[in-house]
Amino acid sequence: MWDFVQICVGGLAVGAIYAVIALGFSLVFRVTGAINLSQGGFAVIAAMLGYTFAVTFGFPLWIAIPVAVGLTTLGGMILGNFTFVPALERLSTANILMLTAGLLTMIQGFTLVIWGSQPYAMPPFSGEAPLVFGPIRLPSQSIWVFGSTAACICGLWLLITRTKLGRALRACAENPTAASLMGVDVRRMTLFSFGLATFIAAVAGVMVAPTTSLQFDTGGLFTISGFIAAVIGGITSFPGAVIGGVFLGLTTQIATAYISSLFATAIALVALLAILVWRPSGLLQSRVRRRHDVRENLKASMHMARLAGGAARIFAILAFAIGLLLPLAVTDNGILSGIVIAGILFMTLMGLDVLMGYAGQVSLGQAGFMAIGGYTSGYLTVNYGVTPVVGVVAGIVLSLGCALILSIVTLRLRGLYLALATLTFGLLVDSCAVGFVGVTGGPSGLVGIPSFSVAGHEFASPRSMYYLVFGLDVVILVGLVGCMSSGFGRALRAIRTDQLAADALGINTVRYKLVAFLISAALASLSGSLYAHFFNFLSPEMVGTDRSLELVAMLIVGGEGTLFGSVLGALLLTLMPTIFQPLALYKTFVSGALLVCGFLYLPQGIYGALVHFVAQLTGNTTPKVTDVKAAGAHR
Amino acid sequence: MTSQMDAVLSVRNLTKSFGGVRAVEKVNFDVAAGGVTALIGPNGAGKTTIFNLITNIFVKEDGRIIFFGRELEGMSPVAIAELGLIRTFQSARVFPGMTAVENVMIGAHRLAQRHGFSQTLWLSSSRKEERDTRATAEALLDLAGLLQFRDVHSTDLPMGAQKLLEIVRALMARPKLLCLDEPAAGLNDTETQELTNLLRAIRQNGTPILVIEHNMSLVMNVADHIVVMDAGTVIATGAPKVIQEDPRVIEAYLGTEHHAVP
Ligand SMILES: Nc1ncnc2c1ncn2[C@@H]1O[C@H](COP(=O)(O)OP(=O)(O)OP(=O)(O)O)[C@@H](O)[C@H]1O
Ligand SMILES: [Mg+2]
Repeated sequence: MWDFVQICVGGLAVGAIYAVIALGFSLVFRVTGAINLSQGGFAVIAAMLGYTFAVTFGFPLWIAIPVAVGLTTLGGMILGNFTFVPALERLSTANILMLTAGLLTMIQGFTLVIWGSQPYAMPPFSGEAPLVFGPIRLPSQSIWVFGSTAACICGLWLLITRTKLGRALRACAENPTAASLMGVDVRRMTLFSFGLATFIAAVAGVMVAPTTSLQFDTGGLFTISGFIAAVIGGITSFPGAVIGGVFLGLTTQIATAYISSLFATAIALVALLAILVWRPSGLLQSRVRRRHDVRENLKASMHMARLAGGAARIFAILAFAIGLLLPLAVTDNGILSGIVIAGILFMTLMGLDVLMGYAGQVSLGQAGFMAIGGYTSGYLTVNYGVTPVVGVVAGIVLSLGCALILSIVTLRLRGLYLALATLTFGLLVDSCAVGFVGVTGGPSGLVGIPSFSVAGHEFASPRSMYYLVFGLDVVILVGLVGCMSSGFGRALRAIRTDQLAADALGINTVRYKLVAFLISAALASLSGSLYAHFFNFLSPEMVGTDRSLELVAMLIVGGEGTLFGSVLGALLLTLMPTIFQPLALYKTFVSGALLVCGFLYLPQGIYGALVHFVAQLTGNTTPKVTDVKAAGAHR
Repeated sequence: MTSQMDAVLSVRNLTKSFGGVRAVEKVNFDVAAGGVTALIGPNGAGKTTIFNLITNIFVKEDGRIIFFGRELEGMSPVAIAELGLIRTFQSARVFPGMTAVENVMIGAHRLAQRHGFSQTLWLSSSRKEERDTRATAEALLDLAGLLQFRDVHSTDLPMGAQKLLEIVRALMARPKLLCLDEPAAGLNDTETQELTNLLRAIRQNGTPILVIEHNMSLVMNVADHIVVMDAGTVIATGAPKVIQEDPRVIEAYLGTEHHAVP
């Protein structure tokens, strides 16, 4: 009995932190209608700064902690001012979510560069000795955690309900246009809410630092837990955020204690998926209803980059020839391997492009299908000696099965809930990959996977693998281009921008979204299998959530909705660390920064910029209404 | 009232309220085959709501909707569109990010034979279908005077052209009944004339139309039959001539003060 109480107390302490981060999510969402995934990253930065000041420099805590929080908040506001705030005016909410995912990656990369990859442990603020209440032992730090959580909640509540500033914030939440007409500076309020959320996250970070060991990538965990907590509770509701956080903390701790520590996350994630099915908008709903559907429509109107017919043919032939001859020019095996990896990832990316670029369905868990494909194929070839082809097909079948089950959840969801569900799926696969040690080899990975082979011919060298991957890529690309440039692709693009109007023309949105999802799952699975066979090894972090985010970055940087563009993003992000070896440390930072800059400055990606350039050269630009009218007048 | 036999669409006893507001109450009317039926009434009369109930975007509280002898009860908006009941929206909902001709081609979706797989394989049959669709779309754009805008991004078009484009897209679906929600709103005089011609051409073609419209001269010009609504109920039905003279209609439109000034 007392054990159970003890576990619950631990769960509450963990839950309190999730609750604080969830509050930040809720705050930013209420003011801007967007999700800010960067918060967990700021929490870790604040904690790391606190460690540096308190332990490395030896400042007293009462100086170190406030300075760490202050610096983090300042840095966050500067970053937010140049990224999040301008993005709000141009991007759809789904894209803002991914932009903030880019910010998170960037912050994690920054932490990696400054503090390295080793874990840090901050000493507790008031000594190691726990407080003892009868049979219950309470770590002294949890008093700090509970106290600061309560202070954050009360402070935020007072600010929102009792002050003029709070009224302005609420006005932005309810109707930004009306608020700006009434003299509220919406841009400033947005920045303020971003800064406030950063501040809250920083407080959470420094308070929790002594209770766990912190690493550069702990921020991702904080963000994800906070996001899950916020959605469980109902993203618009402050009490919901607290309830969600506590719920999540309790479930993970109880699951760890009574079931298995390896599956604790998995259980929390399944609970989350169940909640998404049962109540797609969370447990609590506040009265504030944002009409983000309207904003969404306005900003989803991205024009897709297209080459005119003749130029497209020439460039396709040129690209094919370059692809065919490339291994003759590239003699360095390391670089050729990098190209092969990019080619393998390109398969996933084409599927992701069908799903995201065409059908407009955000997916933050695409690497989950890569994992299913890779582990299935790897496990079967290692343990049962089946041929790799059979393994790959089995992986695809399993992935399609999982995609069908997952679609029960995802087809009902849109926008940020969809993003969350796919993220959850990726995490779930990830935690299964870590947990099922017997099948996957656990955290240290599955070793001894044979190279890919067909009918006795083995693709062992990078060069032979290159031609295999190149051939597959070309076949898939040609097929998808055929499919996407005709009725099917048009239907998907219609769904992307206006589901209601698509419905009214008899386009079965559910069926199309499902097909797009299945295509993306099958391609990701294929690519995951090849990936495992190419490395002869697969470990959970090779196909984890970071990989999912990296895939999104590749797609955006390359050019969404173009099918071909993502190969440019894949090449850029895979080859950069290979070519500039000493800069490998900066890889995470750069991939995050590229994603953010891509969204802000190159919304059509590298491919879009190239197309624009070629169109200017050939004088083959898309006509504008004014051009057409002028031409009509001259006729 | 037209007999139910040659009615394309019959609305019976249709009722819907939002909270306490009776948006539509016990509405009855028919849309005759091969003619233009206009649904008119002051702002907030419940006209758009009727469209949303017909296409099942809103769930009705009571009543029946019969389309070519078939109850639409419980069908999804997609299924209703597949039956050939195609509507447009009050605020033009063209698909952003696509050119005008691509927008129109989407309309052909309902009729397309070859989907997905054969397109993936670049089969000549599916490529021929694609070419034919494009040709039809361009012919329809020409009919509406929009052919010059073929390759312009739909959202860059002026409002009037967007509204016409939406009608052309609906036509592309070869509707059995075309429902238009305020097609003339936002159109200038020349565009309104284009629209009038287009509606006449569609009517000539034998496609029945149900149109919501505030522009009275347009309505009187093209409608064969008029249904007048006010505050959620039908207050008059009949031929344009009859409606023009109906005192209840004049009252609904001009308000009661009208009587004070003889
Ligand atoms: N989704 C909704 N929720 C609540 N009330 C609604 C909704 N849609 C319509 N209404 C209400 O129903 C009534 C009828 O609206 P409707 O849009 O059908 O009018 P209308 O005849 O099309 O007017 P207009 O000529 O201005 O387009 C109005 O009082 C409106 O406020
Ligand atoms: Mg209306």
